[in-house]
Amino acid sequence: MLSRLKSIIPALIPFVVLTASVELAVRQGWVHSYLVPAPSQVLRAMIDSRDELFTAVASTSASALLGFALSTIGGIAVAVFLSSSRPIQRAFYPYAVFFQTVPIIAIAPLLVIWFGYGMRTVVASAFVVSIFPVIANTLTGILSTEPPLRDLFRLYGASTWTTLVKLRFPSALPQILTGLRVAAGLAVIGAIVGEFIGGQGLGSVVDVARTQQRVDKVFAAVLLASVLGLALFGLINLVSYFTLRRWHASEQ
Amino acid sequence: MLRNNNHAPLPNIGDNESVHRRHFLSLIPPAFLAACSKTPGKIRLALNWKPEPEFGGFYAARYTQHGLNVDILPGGAGTPTVQMIGAGSAEFGIVEADEIVVARARGNDVVALYAAFQHSPAALMVHASRKFADIGDIFKKGGTLAIQKGLPFARLLERQYGFDKVQVVPSPGGDISAFLRDPKFVQQVYMTSEYLTAKRQGTDAQVFPISTAGFDPYNTVMATSGDYLRKNPEIAKAMVAAVREGWRVYLDDPKATNQRMNQLNPSMSLDGFAETAEAQKPLIETDETRKNGLGYMTRERWLTLISQLEGLGDLPKVPAPEDCFTTLASTNS
Repeated sequence: MLSRLKSIIPALIPFVVLTASVELAVRQGWVHSYLVPAPSQVLRAMIDSRDELFTAVASTSASALLGFALSTIGGIAVAVFLSSSRPIQRAFYPYAVFFQTVPIIAIAPLLVIWFGYGMRTVVASAFVVSIFPVIANTLTGILSTEPPLRDLFRLYGASTWTTLVKLRFPSALPQILTGLRVAAGLAVIGAIVGEFIGGQGLGSVVDVARTQQRVDKVFAAVLLASVLGLALFGLINLVSYFTLRRWHASEQ
Repeated sequence: MLRNNNHAPLPNIGDNESVHRRHFLSLIPPAFLAACSKTPGKIRLALNWKPEPEFGGFYAARYTQHGLNVDILPGGAGTPTVQMIGAGSAEFGIVEADEIVVARARGNDVVALYAAFQHSPAALMVHASRKFADIGDIFKKGGTLAIQKGLPFARLLERQYGFDKVQVVPSPGGDISAFLRDPKFVQQVYMTSEYLTAKRQGTDAQVFPISTAGFDPYNTVMATSGDYLRKNPEIAKAMVAAVREGWRVYLDDPKATNQRMNQLNPSMSLDGFAETAEAQKPLIETDETRKNGLGYMTRERWLTLISQLEGLGDLPKVPAPEDCFTTLASTNS
């Protein structure tokens, strides 16, 4: 426990220094509060609008989690499919790359046309931006199974399915989890972009607050979005710790 | 301020005058935004949207004849001009009157110099087939209302009529595709822009100006910071004079200026430029301006706006109307 605490302290120092200097800069009038809000103002905005922000965070979390879950399932399934043969990979992988290169802000209005206003558009946006890292990392993981082990499975006449479930998939787990870490943050971004266009959640709060020149509230909402991203990241780390600690160097 | 949505235009829609403003950029400290364009002796005029007819007079102005070296900075999706002026990253900028009041209430010393639009072009666009008698009817009969919830007029409408019978969704900016598909779709527009596009596409579009609900602030207002105004009163005066002449030229014959703006913004056709320039005339030249000069502003109208915004609870401190604007624009000589 003590060692955990010690590992947190280095991350806290920049936070404290940055927060204190911004607070000082605004209080001294070096920076105008209508350009950068003082951390105390942001905190005040969070407290004043706590009900609105709570509802927004709940809505954004639900959409981001759902989009992320779909990416995880869909991404792994696509990667398994792509890994089945070289020609299939050559035929379809370029289209998977599409998901990474698509400018979500440009297609978000289309999502509204396809899925209507509300949560479905938001989930779709979160899904579109977060699926690629899952596909790419899972595929790399599956394809980099150690050849001697592969030979061993073949030697014992293991079926493709058995090889996948008992060898390829477990050995790809570290890469899959890396993909999920990236995807988790992206899902939150995707959800908020979706909310700008589809309504609801933190995206809507940010939109309204900046129209009203409420920089403090914009920062409050942005901060909460970051916390949401961090929470998802933490969740993946937890999963990673419990699945990998017994055999993989990264968690030992 | 009104049309600040920034969704990329959809490929299947022919609305070239798409106006998408959203204040994405307002998350970036404005000081960084325009800092790169600073050249000594140059005066920067920051626009809050692309070169379009609503800025016609600013492009038509002959600044050099007034001893000014002006660099017009076209804006984009939600350029935060009001914050840029406060931060000094542009000496002059185009803002809406309500932005000035809110900015002043939050300690950003921005002052209006010239109100190009005497009346707001903001409106709600509906399908005529729904046979609404007045703007209040829109909120009684269901359907979808695409509106930017944060805008003062949206909240005034909500207070006045209630939004409980309509489904409120984010404004799609200049994109009218949802309107074209859905006969029960209502959206916030500029009657000088999206409405004309919808008409051109043969729809039964009809507009109810927001002003009919009692909210009619000055629009497309040239402003500067109080600090700059105190230090450079002569420059501010020359700017107002140049801009007033420019608007006179543009109202009388917009053709040459439209051609120049069209080169800067080819996404709007020359016909579109001409049509909008014609449609916006009554909002710019009124009985008031014929008497007192273009760009004229009165204390009464600022006071009305301030009390409306105060009623919405938007103002942490209430600015005095005389601090919001200067009388440079009323010294018509």
